[in-house]
Amino acid sequence: MGDSQYSFSLTTFSPSGKLVQIEHALTAVGSGQTSLGIKVIPVIAAANGVVIATEKKLPSILVDETSVQKIQILTPNIGVVYSGMGPDSRVLVRKSRKQAEQYQRLYKEPIPVTQLVRETAAVMQEFTQSGGVRPFGVSLLVAGYDDKGPQLYQVDPSGSYFSWKASAMGKNVSNAKAFLEKRYTDDMELDDAVHTAILTLKEGVLTPAEIEDYLQEVE
Amino acid sequence: MGMKGNGSNHECSRERVKGEEEAAAELLLCREPIRIMSKGEVDYVHARGGFSFDSCRRNEMLLNKGLKPSSFLKTGTTIVGLIFQDGVILGADTRATEGPIVADKNCEKIHYMAPNIYCCGAGTAADTEAVTDTISSHLKLHRYHTARESRVVTALTLLKSHLFRYQGHVSAALVLGGVDVTGPHLHTIYPHGSTDSLPFATMGSGSLAAMAVFESKYHEGLSRDEGVKLVCEAICSGIFNDLGSGSNVDICVITKGQKEYLRNHLLPNPRTYISSKGYSFSKKT
Repeated sequence: MGDSQYSFSLTTFSPSGKLVQIEHALTAVGSGQTSLGIKVIPVIAAANGVVIATEKKLPSILVDETSVQKIQILTPNIGVVYSGMGPDSRVLVRKSRKQAEQYQRLYKEPIPVTQLVRETAAVMQEFTQSGGVRPFGVSLLVAGYDDKGPQLYQVDPSGSYFSWKASAMGKNVSNAKAFLEKRYTDDMELDDAVHTAILTLKEGVLTPAEIEDYLQEVE
Repeated sequence: MGMKGNGSNHECSRERVKGEEEAAAELLLCREPIRIMSKGEVDYVHARGGFSFDSCRRNEMLLNKGLKPSSFLKTGTTIVGLIFQDGVILGADTRATEGPIVADKNCEKIHYMAPNIYCCGAGTAADTEAVTDTISSHLKLHRYHTARESRVVTALTLLKSHLFRYQGHVSAALVLGGVDVTGPHLHTIYPHGSTDSLPFATMGSGSLAAMAVFESKYHEGLSRDEGVKLVCEAICSGIFNDLGSGSNVDICVITKGQKEYLRNHLLPNPRTYISSKGYSFSKKT
């Protein structure tokens, strides 16, 4: 892995015991566009699921918005959204799709969400301990539905993953998370979750001036 | 020589070798963490990566001791395809043979490649299964990356490149058909990697019997029902006139945006059982 000249890892420990490159990677994630996910498990099992949403802010009105796709599909029942560097996420999405397909071919069953998350996290960890490569500058929110029900996982550049009921990443994450904490209830319906996701993005992310702009455009 | 497993993937071949060699034969045929038997002890060797030649050494040793290697399951098949006015119809019989024995009376020879592409396989059963599975995976990943429906020529090129690379050792003769944005397509692929593009095609040991039917009755602009009837006739011709083909007829009709997989569309060889309650024999008989 990596150039032969760099057989040593570029991610090394600091005297305080931290991996500085990973901290910087998380900063890169924190300056990316906001994305969030909400898991819905009401009493009626048929109505449960996961909602993931992201802000699609284009650098200029000239950009062809149909060509930008931030939410990607990994398998028919697992999707992913990212915050951070787009190109890095493309590499991970490609690898995850291949791993999911290999699992399916070997075991003839669709890959469970936890397995795919584990394998993606393993890839991300590999890049923090190999020669000549840097950590990925993305955090992923993997949303999936398998026989264990709806699941939402966040995977960080370090390779650690967490299961969330609701989470946000990227810019203004503290506002967004605070809003989600207030709004999240265990007996939410799927439509409520979609509505909440949109509200969180609007209020947690947009400043009052931007909200005005949007309202003016709508009118 | 050839092998055919049935639709579900069986790891072990159903070879029955008599006597004390039975255990050794099962070792030879089952794919499990490699068990090396040496002087009565059994050790498990875990694969380390790269190709492990342990099995090759063991197989050679067993062959030297006089073990007959398993015979392959040959399809001895009739598979056909034709293009009708709205798309493609594929047909196949359902008999899998192991030499003179019928190994599977109702196997599935029409394999899924993509939602709009199906592939019939003749030759070594394991080869056709593995090759269509592999290329089907490739096509699926390709669909995710390009966000487009798969094209028949893509499947064709992937299959022929794979078969050519193995110089005919992968004994899979295929009839590939599907409908994509460019229209309906039908191709035949030979084990060495050459392909043909045809309006109607037959492959397998029953291909001559089926081709006779097609050559006399095929015309352009067939309707769906006419096409299905013609395919049934061709497969039945193979079933009744070729020993390697038999049992039932499977059909797959692919049109733009839709596919119909008609498993056991025709059952011209029903099994007639004498008693549904089973048999009872008096004692000491």
